[in-house]
Amino acid sequence: PRPDVHPLPPGTHLLYAQSGRIEHVPLEGYDMKKDDAKAVLHLPEKVVIGVAYDCVDKMIYWTEITSPSISKASIQGGEPVTVIRSDLQSPEGIAIDHLGRTMFWTDSVTDRIEVASLDGSQRRVIVDSGLVNPRAIIADPPNGYYWADWNRDAPKIETSYMDGSNRRVLVKDDLGLPNGLTYDSQRSLLCWADAGTHKVECTNPGRGDRRQIMEGIQYPFGVTSFGKNIYYTDWRRDAVVAVDRYTGRESDEFQPQKRSKLYGITTAYAQCPSGQNYCAVN
Amino acid sequence: DATRGTSSDCQPCPCPAGATCASVPKSGQVVCTNCPAGTTGKRCELCDDGFFGDPLGEGGPVRACRACKCSDNIDPNAVGNCDRETGECLKCIYNTAGFFCDRCKDGFYGNPLAANPADKCKACACSPLGTVGAQKSCSAVTGQCPCLPNVIERDCSACQPGFFNLRSRNGCERCNCDAIGSAN
Repeated sequence: PRPDVHPLPPGTHLLYAQSGRIEHVPLEGYDMKKDDAKAVLHLPEKVVIGVAYDCVDKMIYWTEITSPSISKASIQGGEPVTVIRSDLQSPEGIAIDHLGRTMFWTDSVTDRIEVASLDGSQRRVIVDSGLVNPRAIIADPPNGYYWADWNRDAPKIETSYMDGSNRRVLVKDDLGLPNGLTYDSQRSLLCWADAGTHKVECTNPGRGDRRQIMEGIQYPFGVTSFGKNIYYTDWRRDAVVAVDRYTGRESDEFQPQKRSKLYGITTAYAQCPSGQNYCAVN
Repeated sequence: DATRGTSSDCQPCPCPAGATCASVPKSGQVVCTNCPAGTTGKRCELCDDGFFGDPLGEGGPVRACRACKCSDNIDPNAVGNCDRETGECLKCIYNTAGFFCDRCKDGFYGNPLAANPADKCKACACSPLGTVGAQKSCSAVTGQCPCLPNVIERDCSACQPGFFNLRSRNGCERCNCDAIGSAN
């Protein structure tokens, strides 16, 4: 096989970005199979920030800031294809709406949130005001999407419908640097990892309750969830850290051999999460 | 290719000591896969994000990778703070700008190197009535806006004594008061 694209075996995996590559760790149950971790994609000249996974076409999408762009590649092997290359400055978070076949991303320099079809067509700006340092973004199709702005003067977590309408602030108190967001659609639970408060917290966006999962973490950047576990990348530990959401304890750590910052992380599900689709709704 | 049975089958990785490599079958291109700490790239010729330098000396003398030098005017939580080769600062904050975030951006003045962010760069806020061409920029150091004739103050917001009619937008006019009937 070509060394820059290792096809993934079936099953659920964690995908995360580390300077110049996208790596994966297979999950066995909730355990990271660390010995089987390897690079899925070598992108030696790039700085990859956000990673998202399309469970329908089994494609990885990522944002990259050295020649600001959004690209994709099949996890079953294939050439990377750039889908967005113009009018980007610092694209960071990326999220896939696997039902609507669109992608959403944040840009921390243009201070916008944009959406486009997965091939890069039909691109449009959906949020262009009130953003300072937008980073994490996560989709909950068909209900809406969530994003976090780590603006040190007024950090916040917001939501809106898929088309950008009905925008509202979900969390604004007692936040520091909410770098990472993840959403568990089965439990309607939105969780964030905060490098300022050093906490992982969750809320049910419908109920508006809030609870702390863990405190005293070091420097989270990206976060993703799978079942009872939350996995975050940590800039101080250069590691992926697993946290059991119910016990609030760290259950495992994976530190890649290469020591450098880890950025975005996402869960590549073996199958798409079950749920409604647009046709069922309409 | 170790299957062909010639002495050149296995060649050393074109990478710094300790790094491993792999070759891409289609192009034959060799990529280093485990670069030394702080470096990345096909040949470990680049610095990691947040650092700059020329670790292999490809463009001149070797410059080891070091942290972005941006006058404390970048945010450590940001990504892509400087160009990985030249070190040019790309994400200056506190209204600063320049290669090292070492000057105030256009329309601001003050001391970009002050310790307290509040003391760094302040908006010129030039008065549109008293400023030449209603421009928004001022002296980067003193904050003096370019005033129309007979207009004073840092922000060109007042006429000098004995002059009036700032609103003319052409500068202030002499009062022309009769010396006998005026108090001063």
